[in-house]
Amino acid sequence: MHMDELLRLLKDGNTRTIEQLASELHTTDADIRRQLEFLEHIGAIRKISAQESGCGHCGSCSGGACKGCMPKNAKQNMGDMWEVVSV
Amino acid sequence: MSAATIALLGQPNSGKSTLFNALTGLRQHVGNWPGKTVEKKEGSFSYQGKDYNVADLPGSYSMSANSDEEVITRDFIASGKADVVCILADSSQLERSLFMLADYAGISVPCFLILNMADVAKNQGKKINPAAIEKKLGIPVMLFSATDKNAYDQFYKTMERAIKEKAMLNVTSLEQEYKKVDGYSEICETLSDAVIPGYTPMWLTVKAMEQDQVVTAKLRNTLPNGIQKTVEMFVKQSQGAIATGGCKFAWIDGILDGAVSESKTKAKLGKLDRIYTHKIWGKAAVILTVVLGLIASFIPALPIMVMGMGVDSVNGLIRTSLTDAGLSAFLTGLLCDVLIQGLSFVIKMLGFVFGVTLVFGLLEEVGVMARISYVFDNTMGKLGLQGKSVMPFLVSFGCTMGGAAGARVIDNWGQKVLTIALAWAVPCGAAWAIIPMLSTVFFGAGAPLIIVAILFVMILHMWITAKIFSRGLVKYEDKCGMIMELPPYHKPKWGSLMRYVFGRTKDTFFRVVKVVLLVSIVFWLLSYSTSGTENSILYKVGVTIEPFTKVFGLPWQLFIAFIASSFGKEGAVGVIGALFTGGGSIYQITTSSAVTENINQILLANVSRPEALAFIFAITFNLPCIVALAATYQEIHSVKWTVRIAAYYTFTALLLSCIAYHVGLLIW
Repeated sequence: MHMDELLRLLKDGNTRTIEQLASELHTTDADIRRQLEFLEHIGAIRKISAQESGCGHCGSCSGGACKGCMPKNAKQNMGDMWEVVSV
Repeated sequence: MSAATIALLGQPNSGKSTLFNALTGLRQHVGNWPGKTVEKKEGSFSYQGKDYNVADLPGSYSMSANSDEEVITRDFIASGKADVVCILADSSQLERSLFMLADYAGISVPCFLILNMADVAKNQGKKINPAAIEKKLGIPVMLFSATDKNAYDQFYKTMERAIKEKAMLNVTSLEQEYKKVDGYSEICETLSDAVIPGYTPMWLTVKAMEQDQVVTAKLRNTLPNGIQKTVEMFVKQSQGAIATGGCKFAWIDGILDGAVSESKTKAKLGKLDRIYTHKIWGKAAVILTVVLGLIASFIPALPIMVMGMGVDSVNGLIRTSLTDAGLSAFLTGLLCDVLIQGLSFVIKMLGFVFGVTLVFGLLEEVGVMARISYVFDNTMGKLGLQGKSVMPFLVSFGCTMGGAAGARVIDNWGQKVLTIALAWAVPCGAAWAIIPMLSTVFFGAGAPLIIVAILFVMILHMWITAKIFSRGLVKYEDKCGMIMELPPYHKPKWGSLMRYVFGRTKDTFFRVVKVVLLVSIVFWLLSYSTSGTENSILYKVGVTIEPFTKVFGLPWQLFIAFIASSFGKEGAVGVIGALFTGGGSIYQITTSSAVTENINQILLANVSRPEALAFIFAITFNLPCIVALAATYQEIHSVKWTVRIAAYYTFTALLLSCIAYHVGLLIW
């Protein structure tokens, strides 16, 4: 039951890469990816978007329309991040 | 004999639409499912004189009731409208794409399995034995490429076989997995095939354990009260979807075992990632990367700085020409000391905006910034924050207001306040334009050392601030881990990178030029007096407060620039421009040297290096700007905490200024 172990690992507050999780759980990257997909689907984890940093004032925050917005085309190669919603 | 109906079932990107289009061609129509906004695609085709109807079911991850698409899909199948279900899976990633088949298992409708994208799997070096999979599943299975026209004859034959044999999926081994889960057998025993037509007790039990809302409601309406309570009790005690999901994956692994041969690559990290993700060396590598990045930013900044100096040098010629032409001293001063001098500052600042954006944009493009974010993510936990707090910090390097707004992704209020409080310690884009410029003026080749010192103080500042503010704001149990998928390293797309860099530089120019010129005009006017500079308002105020400002190592002019930086870092440059330029009155009485038109020489003649160091630290770690203050309040909705953070940063900026001044005295 890797998913139990995976969620237990995430309780310690550390950040891990998919490769590290695969290594710690003695499995493959593909196995971790499918588990993440499943956990995301059932709402146990959620993806965090680096592009969600709009200012909330200009009405088109994601477009870099104002000073407070994430700049246009910024943070596009930052990889994917997930966080635990409930364990 | 009526036409048989085939339902196409698969996860998004499984190639369902390609297959549907190839089968039906122009014989298709698109509408909406009744009462839903989900697209309904139906069509027909003929094969060897027989007609077939095709329903392209909405792409969904599973058969659970998590979305309209999933409910429509399973209701259509269970209604018996389809004679056979064609389940598509992506051959290149069977481990995950067979999940749909595992979730389908237990629905009493004949089916067959199409392992689509066989060409992609072959290119990946995977060898798939469909006969071995077929033997385990008990339904027709074929390797297929929906884009290969020659593969369709085999598809039709497989489809006809499934219809003729009424092929039902063998779920024995899957049920064995489910039986290992607490509560499964007990719930399953209470259900029968007749509870909800189309679904087996196994499927219903699993969905009940997963707390599928539609199935739970139907069971509640169908089952007698006593049995219903028993089911609910076991559901509550079970591990739910995590347990049943694990069973499905275990079943998939069993199906693929011996049927797919591929070299299972154990987690392997590249050379660079082995360094960046190293527990000890990772942080050092990241700090070194950032420091080198900042130092490297000086290279592209240099040509633009030279342009700024060029504007400085023509300023003298323009002043002489205007004076010779008989223009009044007031207008000459306004034009040369405010407009041209301000423009010179802005151009020099832009050099660093361009350099920093280019270097760090490049690091992001090639995938290094994601590694930096990863390393800092782990540090966040030690500061009492969630890993995702790193994003507001990265955004704060561009703009603190953006960083404060970026903290919106943090749900916990205490962590949000702490994140914003720490984001203030990150020098914003304007600071990264001013610091290198002033450092270059005062410290020449030693400027990169100042940048490095600023970076280290920033880290120390964040650590101390976290220790001070985290008490009462965050609890240990609020912390949770994160998972990151680091993007692969790749070559930069220079075109898009340069468009981004020039765009940012242009935006900064227009923003900064307005602030600098406005502040310059105001302070120049306040320092101007026709009856002697000693009578100007600013001079009188300045000399009065200087005994106090000297405590922090700041002459009164720089202290006023520090105050102006609270409204916006660019404001400090405007004040310096107004108070230290040659034609202005303050300069003439604060120095006995001859008038020189070069602002760099003027600053060097009037401000000592310890004072300059104190000033650089003061404005860098002062509160970022008024807009950031407003954004902070807007995010945390607490006047008390907003004021507390602002007061803390004003105090620490002056404290750092005092320390930097005394360190400077020891050095110079």
